[in-house]
Amino acid sequence: MAQDYSHVKTILATDCGSTTTKAILIEKEGEEYRLKVRGEAPTTVEKPAEDVTRGVLNAVGEVEELSGRTLLKKVKVLHSGKGIKGGTDVYLSTSSAGGGLQMMVAGVVKSMTGESAQRAALGAGAIVMDVLASNDGRLGHEKIEAIRRLRPDMILLSGGIDGGTISHVVELAELIGAADPKPRFGSGYDLPVIYAGNKDARGNVKGSLEAKTDLYVVDNIRPVLERENLGPARHEIHNLFMEHVMAQAPGYSKLMEWTDEPIMPTPGAVGEIIQTIASTYGIEAIGVDIGGATTDVFSVFGGVFNRTVSANLGMSYSVSNVVAETGLPNIMRWVPFSVDERAIRDRVRNKMIRPTTIPQTLEDLIVEQAIAREALRLAFEQHKSLAVGLKGIQQQRTISDAFAQTATGGTLVNMMNLDMLVGSGGALSHAPRRAQAGLMLIDGFMPECVTFLAVDSIFMMPQLGVLSKVMPKAATQVFDRDCLVRLGSCVAPVGSGKEGSNCLHIEADFPGLGHISEDVKLGEMRLLPLPVGEKVRAKLDPARGFDLGAGKGDAREVTLEGGVVGVVLDCRGRPFQIPEDETKRVNAITGWLQNLDIYPKVF
Amino acid sequence: MRKLVVICVVITGALLISGCQEIDTEVSAVTVMDAPNDSGGGVVVAWPAPAGVKVDSFAIERLDPETGKYTPLTTVKGDETFLEDTGLTPNADYSYRVVANLADGKTTAVGEGAGRPTGEWFNFNRLNVLVGVVSFVVLVLVFISMARGGKELFVRKIAGLEAVDEAIGRATEMGKPILFVSGLGDASDIATIAAMTILAKVARKTAEYETPLIVPCRDPIVMMVEKEMVREAYTEVGRPDAFEEDSVFYVTDSQFGYVAAVDGIMLRERPATNFYMGAFYAESLILAETGAQTGAIQIAGTDRVTQFPFFITACDYTLMGEELYAATAYLGRDPLMLGSLKGQDWAKAVILVILIVGAILIALTGLGEVDTTWFARLFETVS
Repeated sequence: MAQDYSHVKTILATDCGSTTTKAILIEKEGEEYRLKVRGEAPTTVEKPAEDVTRGVLNAVGEVEELSGRTLLKKVKVLHSGKGIKGGTDVYLSTSSAGGGLQMMVAGVVKSMTGESAQRAALGAGAIVMDVLASNDGRLGHEKIEAIRRLRPDMILLSGGIDGGTISHVVELAELIGAADPKPRFGSGYDLPVIYAGNKDARGNVKGSLEAKTDLYVVDNIRPVLERENLGPARHEIHNLFMEHVMAQAPGYSKLMEWTDEPIMPTPGAVGEIIQTIASTYGIEAIGVDIGGATTDVFSVFGGVFNRTVSANLGMSYSVSNVVAETGLPNIMRWVPFSVDERAIRDRVRNKMIRPTTIPQTLEDLIVEQAIAREALRLAFEQHKSLAVGLKGIQQQRTISDAFAQTATGGTLVNMMNLDMLVGSGGALSHAPRRAQAGLMLIDGFMPECVTFLAVDSIFMMPQLGVLSKVMPKAATQVFDRDCLVRLGSCVAPVGSGKEGSNCLHIEADFPGLGHISEDVKLGEMRLLPLPVGEKVRAKLDPARGFDLGAGKGDAREVTLEGGVVGVVLDCRGRPFQIPEDETKRVNAITGWLQNLDIYPKVF
Repeated sequence: MRKLVVICVVITGALLISGCQEIDTEVSAVTVMDAPNDSGGGVVVAWPAPAGVKVDSFAIERLDPETGKYTPLTTVKGDETFLEDTGLTPNADYSYRVVANLADGKTTAVGEGAGRPTGEWFNFNRLNVLVGVVSFVVLVLVFISMARGGKELFVRKIAGLEAVDEAIGRATEMGKPILFVSGLGDASDIATIAAMTILAKVARKTAEYETPLIVPCRDPIVMMVEKEMVREAYTEVGRPDAFEEDSVFYVTDSQFGYVAAVDGIMLRERPATNFYMGAFYAESLILAETGAQTGAIQIAGTDRVTQFPFFITACDYTLMGEELYAATAYLGRDPLMLGSLKGQDWAKAVILVILIVGAILIALTGLGEVDTTWFARLFETVS
């Protein structure tokens, strides 16, 4: 039976990350929930402690000290109740310790049920290590070898619509059976396999896998090609994450007893809070978490939630891979001075082998933030390729479609409609100046029209995500007031033109600036200071050939919101082209950096 | 490439020389010259206008070699001074006599002359065509050489061809067969040939995906060719065992008998994907509508303009006209085909530009702004 959370006054939430365990305490003040204090301690999954609860107790202990509220009793989180002084009404937790949830998925056709299975796993907070499919071009023994080598925490098998192909699904099941896979944790247990494919093939799949794996059967994720049904598979993934993966990890069985709700995978929780915010405010939103090893991108467009994890894009362990994928010239294009290529490579390798180091000089910082821009850009490209409509569905045509026969499976990401872009992760949350985080987000995602930018102040989105499952209002309040650091609105006209020609005319009454009526040229970036919480109505008149959402060259009135950075006018055009000539490029970047007051020194 | 240019220059030079050959004519008052730029079937008979008299008409007579007498050929007006006589035997001698009919009713002989019609190697009237063809060939060769050199040639996305994988994937997920109809044309029809090349690509995919393929044929020769192509496709992807002999079969050559049979297959087998490629006539809508009712994804392609509306509205994707011919290059990415496709596209672009410029010039001529006859002459017969 669902618990009643209507009288909750105190909420304790922890996020057990790979390196640190973060605890937050939320309390009700009047009618509002607000963050009180935050504590942090090293995660203790690894030796010598090998018990995740030690780290939790340490982090909660810090919260206890800072808040003055008793939250621990002996070696346990204290729940409030009659006759108990202090304690918490609710205790929730997320976890990504030990590499989080690592899954393999399988489907008949890679771009159909394979992609649906991938979306189901990613949405549940997993890292998808590999996608097996009948048409992936690999031979049977190669697939078996991949399953044995990767050792996932669980496998999601899908394929075929209900009443569809049986032979292909059974073939995949036989391959998994032949691989005789073993889980990462708990050598004495069978690997959990979730079957979410053609219901007519259930008997055959059971025959192939029941004896060798811990098989769970749920509803088909693609009962018909025209519809996805990811809920049951995601729910089962969460259950199995708790029962198998978490239960086998050191100390988690104890932690599971303490929490009032099931422990969620960290990325799944972040996805929850992004979805909650998007639905609460009725907006289209993108969230990004750039970590050391991986970069997660979350998006909600048209009510459809998508999450992707770029497992090889990060700012420490995976930093070399970012350079390898994008190439040095792409990184160097963001740097406003010339640097020896070898020096850059040395910096990158040093960062990889010493992941906890931070830039010591301004040049180091600029190079690192250039890499972050490329990591964000690549992760977003990957996201756009997976956040797509369903493929292989029948279309209704009229004669007007003669010359515009759109294909199915187009990306759902429409930057023209994006309302909010939220960044998280060390590179963004801990940038020395907030404007640096703002510019990294703009350069990495290239927002269009009018987009509000924000960063997560102390990375509490996971805790708020798990809270949003049970108390969405409380989660939204804390997210809005304590989690978000508002950077400000970004105005970016879409279009291209001749360098130096007019791009945008803006008219508005800015507090402190008075009435402004300015022209911005193509290739320029400008900053208009507007404090946090302030809003202004502005008339934006794009030049001919440029679009701000009302059509090419058509003016519109919008509300611009302030932040710690202010309102950024990005008139570099979309698609963005950086000048190829070295002198012009350096001049352009220097101009942008100066106008936005990004770094203290002028190059 | 350099060799080709040298050969072209030599041939063009030879042709120019042959075109300038002097004709064997007798010098007299009447001149008989070989008509230029023909295959040797005509001469031009020319005469001077008699001085001091008013001529009503000229009677031209030709010598009949059998009788040795002049027989009337034709009569022209008095202000004309030449005539082109055609339909002659090349390299035979012909003699002409011109008699002037005066206004006062009298006649006077203008003179006689003889000549021999000969054929020319090169028709200068068609010089503009040669320039066009050479430019086109050069364009194609340049693009083929670029494609072979590894340059990525941009070909715009054709949704219908992009969707082939998706359509086959759909059939695989649904566990249903794929139906391929290659039209009602015979093996000599260019649309049928294009359809066959697409079938080969589709068959390769169905072999990879292990999805059944059904190919009903209207023409026995087409059936034989398609059967071999499908067999080869299955062999190429290493699945000769998966090829079913009966998957490509003959139905009937009766138009509506064939359509009835294909509709029956659609309703019984419920294929998940239908391809209609080739030449189609009145049956296009019957096929496409039945397929749409069964819930199949349908990809059509035809060069029959009258069938476009039916396919566009009833199918998911339609390849229109030349998109069908471009399919082979698009799917195969063979440098030879890709280069040809690009060359043709550029040639079409040039023609389009000429048409637009011509239309503008004609409009300006109508307004009396400019003289545009020079432009029109570029595309007329050169005289």
